[in-house]
Amino acid sequence: MSKRFLIFVLFLVPILAFGQTTPPPPAAPRAVHLPQPSEKTLANGLRVIVVEKTGLPLVAARLMIKTGSEAEPDDRAGLADLTASLLTKGTKTKSAEEIARGVEALGATIDSGAGWDDSYVSLSALSNKFAESMKYVADVVMHPTFAKDEIDRLRDQNVDALSVALQSPASLANFVAARVVYGGGPYGHNLGGTPQSLKNIQRDDIVRFHDAHYRPDNAVLVVAGDVKPSAVFTIAETLFGAWKSSGGEAPPPVPPSSSPAAPSRVVVIDMPEAGQAAVIVTRPGLARVDPLFSVALVTNSVLGAGYSSRLNQEIRIKRGLSYGAGSSFDFRRDAGPFSASVQTKNESAVEVAGLIGGEVNRMTSTSVAESELTPRKATIVGDFGRSIETTSGLVGRMSVLALYGLSLDKINSYVSDIQAVSAGDVQQFSTAHLGGDASIIIVGDMKKIGDAVKKSYPNAEIIPLDQLDLDSPALRKK
Amino acid sequence: MIGAMRRRLPIFFLTLILANAALAAKLAVPPIPLKHRTLANGLQVYSVEDHSSPTVAIQVWYRVGSKNDPNGRSGFAHLFEHLMFKSTAHMKAEMMDRLTEDVGGFNNASTRDDATEYHEVVPSNYLETLLWAEGDRLATLNVNEENFKSEREVVKEEYRFRVLSPPYGRLFVAIDKDSFEVHPYKRPGIGNIAELDAATLSDVQAFHTTFYRPDNAVLVVVGDFEQSQLDGWVDKYLGGIGHPSSPIPRVTVTEPPRKASKHFEEHGPTVPLAAVASTWLIPEARHKDSPALSVAAAILGLGQSSRLYTSLVYKKKLAVEVEVDADLREDAGLFSSLVIVASGHSAKEGQKELDAELAKLVAKPIPAAELDKAKTQLIASILRGRETNDGKAGDIGNSFVVFHDANGVNSWIDRLQAVTSADVQRVVRKYVTGAKAAVIDYTADGGAK
Repeated sequence: MSKRFLIFVLFLVPILAFGQTTPPPPAAPRAVHLPQPSEKTLANGLRVIVVEKTGLPLVAARLMIKTGSEAEPDDRAGLADLTASLLTKGTKTKSAEEIARGVEALGATIDSGAGWDDSYVSLSALSNKFAESMKYVADVVMHPTFAKDEIDRLRDQNVDALSVALQSPASLANFVAARVVYGGGPYGHNLGGTPQSLKNIQRDDIVRFHDAHYRPDNAVLVVAGDVKPSAVFTIAETLFGAWKSSGGEAPPPVPPSSSPAAPSRVVVIDMPEAGQAAVIVTRPGLARVDPLFSVALVTNSVLGAGYSSRLNQEIRIKRGLSYGAGSSFDFRRDAGPFSASVQTKNESAVEVAGLIGGEVNRMTSTSVAESELTPRKATIVGDFGRSIETTSGLVGRMSVLALYGLSLDKINSYVSDIQAVSAGDVQQFSTAHLGGDASIIIVGDMKKIGDAVKKSYPNAEIIPLDQLDLDSPALRKK
Repeated sequence: MIGAMRRRLPIFFLTLILANAALAAKLAVPPIPLKHRTLANGLQVYSVEDHSSPTVAIQVWYRVGSKNDPNGRSGFAHLFEHLMFKSTAHMKAEMMDRLTEDVGGFNNASTRDDATEYHEVVPSNYLETLLWAEGDRLATLNVNEENFKSEREVVKEEYRFRVLSPPYGRLFVAIDKDSFEVHPYKRPGIGNIAELDAATLSDVQAFHTTFYRPDNAVLVVVGDFEQSQLDGWVDKYLGGIGHPSSPIPRVTVTEPPRKASKHFEEHGPTVPLAAVASTWLIPEARHKDSPALSVAAAILGLGQSSRLYTSLVYKKKLAVEVEVDADLREDAGLFSSLVIVASGHSAKEGQKELDAELAKLVAKPIPAAELDKAKTQLIASILRGRETNDGKAGDIGNSFVVFHDANGVNSWIDRLQAVTSADVQRVVRKYVTGAKAAVIDYTADGGAK
């Protein structure tokens, strides 16, 4: 190996011919290209939204059902995701293997699953194979068979995958956080279910969920890429025109969770041998349609989104306590959670929880200076601009607007809405939505976390991993 | 997920970038129109003008990676990468964030086996600013003791985050360690706590002087700029940086062929499902057999219609996950498979099935439709990676460093298309079924499962 050279070259400093000691200023900004959505609603109620984007010969699409995990019973957690994931595992005319082979031979990828508020089949296709690729999407959405052996196979795979997630401090902390914030309410369970809830799901549950929610008047098709809107409308009519809603009105969305806010808790899961502790500070946040959406985004950008946010400054950059610290609002149909998350060595878990609390309080007590606010807004605007540079990113942005019944024009007012947020808005918002007690979840090795946790949080519930019950709001086995 | 993922070290997922470039015959995809210059100081410059979005991607790839970690300093190239975001003669620590994130851009970097790359995407009116900044940290990096120590703690947390915390983190370190006997690829790029603690500020200065020089770097710029303006700025901000007259140290060790198959037992404290990894040595990336090895890996493991997914995961339900990879590197690569075993089954069952599929691959010609499918999948995935300026620039930089040919982003396409069934069978016979495997069993401490 060549490592000995190091000693000799130490003294050979590069010769600099380097005049300028300050960065050259930017030139005038260039115009941004804004997407132009077109839309059409078919006679059966299916809404079709298209954004043409030329460049590479790629098209992304998402067939979205406006019902997701929120609608499943707590003891059948994972039902929406299992139903959606099974779509590609066999239809009346094609086996799972034929679907996989057919799609992949076209150079396409197909993926299905559920979020809190939607179930989806997403496609990424080559533009000259788009129509052919879409046939698979239509077939799996309208004609799935939900064969018993496919259900059993996928359930077993999901249970195995959960056994891995439950041994990972970060993912386990997220599962626990949902229970702590939402208890037994619709957002309290894990989206993918638990080993027990997955076992509870019967084929009938799946078929009923599909019958009730997978219907054209509860669906939206969003397409973006190298394809003309008129061509997409024709393809949609051909493939989905005969899709009928199975009787009656579409079920209304799940009513807002009316349960009173659960009191905050401090929960520590003792995971022996955890290589790092996961720390989450969390509380209910905002619904996507909340008029304060943009204010929340700007507030979070100051506090915890992006490399230079306050949490990462304090925890990573100043103190070296983590590889990354951040926070986010999970905007849903109802108020999804706000959470700040950090992974740190077990010994620092309590210190980090305190630092997060301190930074949240600073958001409420002190106004953000313009010199900090302006770059944080620029970060959001830049992220947005880059997200719509890809076909799948465009589909994602348009889908969210369609899912929550927001005007598609919002895609073009996103930037001005962010720019309109003031420092006063941020402080007022922080006081109203981030002030007061939040819950704290720590998953880590108690031997190393130590007594500090009891000193700082006398009411902390310390639950050994083998006593944890994610199916119960109490979180502890009876 | 945690917000900041920057200054990262891809340990196992390098495939995404290494799968280089290809186009389907049926699909008209324009080649990337590369412009190339070599400056007098040795800096290579590749650029692609593209005005489809008002942004520009800037990348600097240095031909120094984890394989160049000094002795007793595993993880040093990666630690150094983090320090390139600290102070210079003209920039305060974290100034790169002021010039990127604060104006709506972003930056990041990664340390690979063969190279370290730094990248930014900014609104295109900031291109000149960023070229100045890249020149400044190449020429005048000036890290202080306080920043050094604090960032070293961050890297130790990154080690815990990647290796100690995830159930399969230790396996990813073990794969290289057990696969190479003499080549420094065997040392983990993420390092270890003791060797990170041993690093000093003078190591940092020496490393910068040795490897961070214009004749060891390639600049890639893709996006919204005017060529003549770019050329002028590059000359102004990067052309005047000199370099030492000493040669650049290179790794010259050759990994010898394996004399015998090897078996390893590796453990972690929390391993819910056993895993088994198998690796075989393959030649350097620029070898003529690389495209056929990539197609072989795709036939075996890419997508749910691949042979191993169909057999191990779908039909026999022995595994929850299968990955097959032709990991092409500058000096010597690995053909590898990774099986995460389903509960109630053993690694042995998975291994037996893997062997059966490999035997079948060399015994029977690959049907034309299946060969076409694998190529189309590879091509489409490369195309998706090129939707952004940053993705294109990454392909160019990687091709330059690992394949010694930036134009490989275009020629790789034809090479992939030319692969025949006989090619695939020949390379699998030569490097896999007819060669020696390293097999790594990964289970929980105490040998459970």
